[in-house]
Amino acid sequence: MVTVLMLMLSLPYQTAMAALIGTEELVSSQKATEARAYIVSVLAREDIQQLLTARGIDPIEAQARVGALTDQEAIRMAETMENLPAGGNIAWIFGLAVLVFLVLLVTDLLGYTNIFPFVKKTVNE
Amino acid sequence: MAFLVWGCAGSLSRQWLVPAADTPDQVVIPAVPFFPQTEYQCGPAALAMTLVWSGVSTSPDRLTPIVYTPSIKGSLQPAMITAARRHARLAYVISSPQELMQELAAGHPVIVLQNLGLSWAPVWHYAVVMGYDLNTKRIVLHSGEARHTTTKMRVFTNTWSRSAYWGLLTLPPGHLPATATEVPYLQAVLGLEKAEKWPQAVLGYQAATQEWPDNFAAHMGVGNALYAMGDLPAAEQAFNTAVERFPDEGAAYNNLAQVLFELGKIKAAVSAAEQAVRLGGPLSEPYQETLRDIQRWSK
Repeated sequence: MVTVLMLMLSLPYQTAMAALIGTEELVSSQKATEARAYIVSVLAREDIQQLLTARGIDPIEAQARVGALTDQEAIRMAETMENLPAGGNIAWIFGLAVLVFLVLLVTDLLGYTNIFPFVKKTVNE
Repeated sequence: MAFLVWGCAGSLSRQWLVPAADTPDQVVIPAVPFFPQTEYQCGPAALAMTLVWSGVSTSPDRLTPIVYTPSIKGSLQPAMITAARRHARLAYVISSPQELMQELAAGHPVIVLQNLGLSWAPVWHYAVVMGYDLNTKRIVLHSGEARHTTTKMRVFTNTWSRSAYWGLLTLPPGHLPATATEVPYLQAVLGLEKAEKWPQAVLGYQAATQEWPDNFAAHMGVGNALYAMGDLPAAEQAFNTAVERFPDEGAAYNNLAQVLFELGKIKAAVSAAEQAVRLGGPLSEPYQETLRDIQRWSK
């Protein structure tokens, strides 16, 4: 009888463990939000936009595609952008443009985007 | 995702020569204990120095089994980080000379990873930096078997840059690194959670709510860690503060609902859970689950 009572008492606690929203989840979502804002702010730069346009990428479309990245992808992309050496110089800007190009290429491959007509889609088709 | 590793080559930094305006010309942190390293044991020795400085009672010998990997005759950085957490200390990683100077100026000794050899013939080494002098251009550190030695900034920068300026703080819980930024700091406190150091996690999150009052995750962290400790009344108070400050966040109502429920405040629990469901958002599924559970158990 005591065992049964103990079991009943412990049950709500166990459901509780599943029900609380953990701190880690909230921190990750904050991190992803910051990462997206950073990428969008970089894409809004005039020099980056010119480089993208020169490569046939619509900057507005590029901005929209940032939303198609998962949290993890956005975080890793922002980290890579931040780790590019010596911000502000030509190599850095060129590096960013190449990075953006590659990211958009991959989202095309995944079928999220359709910027590059030469990419054969793996999903949605 | 291989494309994301592109373009990470670092350039040799000259940041030393332009110190931040608010750091003094000369700093030496007093009372950083020294433990001479035995063969290959610079990791345990360096960690023991900053842990004892932060108030932990330990020694290199006691740390060796948890940080040292015999097969590589060294200590890996993640092992150093987790060992600090297991001793209930906040492990915070820095990655630039400027951050190092600011931390030293704030009185925080820093473990640094240096490559004393060459990039293609590395000799990795942990040392504890406790000061610098911009006039003589020297760094003050405990290194290897040398207590309170100094080395030229130029040489130090070269050897440290090869680890991409990896530096580690081990701070008493509730103390913020001088260079702390929101997300990395919260991730450092999350590390205390992983090590199940709940009271220290509470202090860490509370410090974050002081420094960044608008940070939702920090407020939730206080409540979640108190809950994990089993202090339901304090958790209720923390989640109440969270819903007052962030009335649009369903997660705050969800967690408050669960705590109220476990405290037997069923009516309030149902109404908080309903509010979470009303607010919805990406986590609306667990909110609905909480509401269902509460309703089921309250019948």
